[in-house]
Amino acid sequence: MELEIKNLTKQYNKGKIGLADFSVSIGKGILGLLGPNGAGKSTLLKIIASISKPTGGTIFVNGENIIKNPNAIRKILGYLPQDFGVYPNLNAYEFLTYMAALKGIGGHGLKKRIEILLDGVNLTADAKRPIGSYSGGMKQRVGIAQALLNDPKVLIFDEPTVGLDPEERVRFRQLISEMANNAIVILSSHIVSDIETIADEVAIMKNGMLIDKGSPAAITKKMEGKVFETSIPHAELDGFRSKHLVTDMSKQPDHINLRYISDTSHGNANIKGVNPGLEDAYLYLTQKQY
Amino acid sequence: MGIFYQTIKGDYLQRSRSYAFLITLAITIYAAYHFVPAPDENYTTLIITGYKGVYNSAWAGHISVLMTTTILALFGFFLVNGAIKKDIDTEVGLIVAASPISNMRYLLIKFVSNLLILLTISALAIIVAMLVFLIKKSGYPFLIKDFLLPYIFTIIPAMTVVAGFAILGEVFLRGKGILQGILYFFIFTTLITINMGSTSSSAITDIFGINEIISSITNQIDTQFHERIKDIALGYTITETASYKTFVWNGVSWSFDYLTSRAVWIGMILISVCISSFSFHRFDFKTLKIRRLPIFSAPAKTNYSKIEKIALPAIIPAYGILPLIKIELLLMIRKDPKILNILSFALWVSLLFVPLTTAHVILLPVLFFLQVNKLSDLATKEKAYRLHYLTYAAYKPLQRVLSAQILAAFSLLIALAFPVILRLIISSSYLNIIQVVNGTLLIAILSISIGIISDGKKLFEVFFFLLTYCVLKRISAVDYLGGIPHPDYLGKMLSIFIINISLLVACVMFRARQVNNL
Repeated sequence: MELEIKNLTKQYNKGKIGLADFSVSIGKGILGLLGPNGAGKSTLLKIIASISKPTGGTIFVNGENIIKNPNAIRKILGYLPQDFGVYPNLNAYEFLTYMAALKGIGGHGLKKRIEILLDGVNLTADAKRPIGSYSGGMKQRVGIAQALLNDPKVLIFDEPTVGLDPEERVRFRQLISEMANNAIVILSSHIVSDIETIADEVAIMKNGMLIDKGSPAAITKKMEGKVFETSIPHAELDGFRSKHLVTDMSKQPDHINLRYISDTSHGNANIKGVNPGLEDAYLYLTQKQY
Repeated sequence: MGIFYQTIKGDYLQRSRSYAFLITLAITIYAAYHFVPAPDENYTTLIITGYKGVYNSAWAGHISVLMTTTILALFGFFLVNGAIKKDIDTEVGLIVAASPISNMRYLLIKFVSNLLILLTISALAIIVAMLVFLIKKSGYPFLIKDFLLPYIFTIIPAMTVVAGFAILGEVFLRGKGILQGILYFFIFTTLITINMGSTSSSAITDIFGINEIISSITNQIDTQFHERIKDIALGYTITETASYKTFVWNGVSWSFDYLTSRAVWIGMILISVCISSFSFHRFDFKTLKIRRLPIFSAPAKTNYSKIEKIALPAIIPAYGILPLIKIELLLMIRKDPKILNILSFALWVSLLFVPLTTAHVILLPVLFFLQVNKLSDLATKEKAYRLHYLTYAAYKPLQRVLSAQILAAFSLLIALAFPVILRLIISSSYLNIIQVVNGTLLIAILSISIGIISDGKKLFEVFFFLLTYCVLKRISAVDYLGGIPHPDYLGKMLSIFIINISLLVACVMFRARQVNNL
C-alpha cells in the first residue's frame, strides 16, 4: 500500500498558490502533517480526498491515478475534514447508516459494525439522540466513527482533536494507533504533541511546499545543539526576541525563563543547552526563511 | 454613524455578492424589458378594458414603477426575508450577540440592508425601462422625471414597508418561515385587492402607493371618454391591438395627502422595527432548542471500549442508492414541523374527495408548495450543515448522491400526487397523468438545479412561490401539472420535458464542478 504524490500544484484565482510542486511518498503507518495556517495542509488533504482538483501533478494509490479516477480512492477512504458538520435531525446511528450508504457499504454486518464503532467512541448511550443536541466533542467523535466505518486503507484526519477534551485526545491517539496497522493514516494538526506521540513520520509544510520529512526522532535530531534555556530580566525580553527564536517562556516575579533556538552556542554560564523536541524543530523550520 | 454605515455596507455586499442575487438581477432585466409594451405589441400589463395610454415618457415610467412595485412588494419580501436567519445559520449571530451593538441598531442595519437590496433591484428595473423607452423611439420626448418621481414617491416608500415587514416577520415569527410567507401573502393580496382602482380608499390605506397612479389613469379615461372605469388589473395579458382606444396621459400630480401618507408609512414601519427590538431574541434560542430537541445531559464518563478490528463484521459493498434515498426522505420528513406534515396529509386525503379539477388545479399545486421547505435545500443542505466534504468524497457522488436526491424529491411528490393520478387513471385522462408526472419531475429537478446553481435555497423558494401563484391565477402557460386547458397541450408537455432534461444536464454539470473544486 503506497500513496505517491508527484509534483502536485494547486493555484487559485488571482495567482494564490495552495501547493507548489509538492512531492512525497507515503507508506503504511501514521504521517503527521505540520505547518502554520495557510501552509497548504488542508489543500493537500482535500486533493488526496478527491474533493479538490490540483492544477498539476499526480497522485497514485497502489498504481492507480486518483486524479483521473477519483472513485478509486473514495472506496477505500476514511476522511474527517477540519470543518466537519452533521445533520442535526438524525441520531448518531442514522447518521452513520447514511455515511455507510455514501461510502457504498451495507449488508447484515453493518448494524453491528456501527454499534462497535459507536462503542469505541463512547457514544452508545447517546446513539439514539439527535446529533443536534450533542456537544462539540461528541460531534467530533461521530466524525471519527464515520471515518473508520468502511475499514479504510487511506485515513485522512484534518485537525481531528479540535473540541476533544484531554481524555478524549488520549483515547483518539490510541484509537488511531490501533487502526493504523494496515492503513495509510495522514494526520494534520496544530498540536505538535498529538503528532509527536503517534506519528511514524512527520512532514512539515510551509507556503505550499514540503520543507522536511522524516521520523520525529530524525527531525528532532537535526536540532541538537541549537536549543537553549536561559533567564533574563523582564526589560530585556523584546531585545532578546528580536535576535532569537523563542519557543517557550515562563514569567517569574523578577525574571523570565526562556527556551530559544540559536544556530550558535554563546558559552555563557547563564545559558544551557537542552534536548530538542519536535516543537522546537517545527518552529525553527517554519520560521526560517526559504 | 461611521460604524453604522460600514456595517450596513458589509451586510449589503455580503448579500449582493451571491449567485442568487445575480440571477435575480438577470430576471429583473428580462422582466423590466417587458413591463411596458410598445403600441404595436400584442400584450398589455395594465389591463383597462378597451383603453391604452400612448407610449410616452409618463406612461412608460409610471407603468414600469407600477409593475416593479407590485412584483417586488410581493416577491421582494421572500427575497429579503431571512437576513437574520442567515446570521443564525452561519453563527455570525453569536458574534453579534457578544458585541456591544444594540438590538435596535442591529435590526435597523438588517432593515436598511433589506431596503438597499430591494432598491437595487427596483433601480435596475427602472433603468432598463428608461433604456427600452429610448430604444423603442416612440416619438415622444424622454423626460427623466417621469421615471424618477414615481421611483422616489412610490417605490422607495413601498420597499421600505416590505423591508420592514420582513424584519418584523423574522422577529415575531422566528423559525416559522412558512408562516411568515403565508401571512405576508395574505396581507399583500388583501391590501392589493382593497386598493386596486378603488376610488373610495384613502391614500393612507394605499400601503404600496399603487392606487395613486391607477386612480390618475382612470380619472383621465373617465374625463376624456365619459366613462366610469372600475375593472383594472395588473399582469401580462395577450390582447388584440386593434380594439384599443388610446389616450394621452402625462403622469401623476403627487398630492400632499399622498406624500404625507408615504411619510406616515415610512415612520410607522421604522417605529415598528425599533419597537420589535424589545422582543428580539439576540440569538439566544435555549427555549426554542429545548422544545425541539431533548435536553442534553453530559454522559457519565465510562471507559472507552477498544475497537477490535477483528470483531468488526466484514465490509460488504453495497453501491445501490436505495439507502441514500431512504435517508433523504427521512431528512425531508423531519424537516418540517409536525403541524405542517399533518396539514399536508389532510390535503392529500382531500385530493381523493374534492372535484377532480379542484384537486388537480388548486389543491395539488398548494400541496406541492407546502413542501417548499423540504425541497428547497435538498442539494444545498450538505453545504449548509458543512457536510459537503464528506458527501462530495462519497463513492460516485454524482451518479449516487445527486440521483438519490432527485429521486427522493420525485418520490415524495409523486406520493403526494398519487390520489390525483389515481383519479385520472379512473377517468382515463392519460395525457393528464403524463403531465402530472412530467410536472412533478420538473419541481424535483428545479429544486435541485436552482439550489446547485444559485448555491442557496432562497431563489427556489421565491420561484416556486411565483409559479404556484401564477398557477392559482389560472395562467395556463405555467400550469406545470397540466390541469388547466391549454391550446397546445402536447407542445407544453414537450416544452416542460425539454426543460427537465436541460435542467438535469445543467445541475449535473454544476455539481460535477462543485464536487471537484472545494
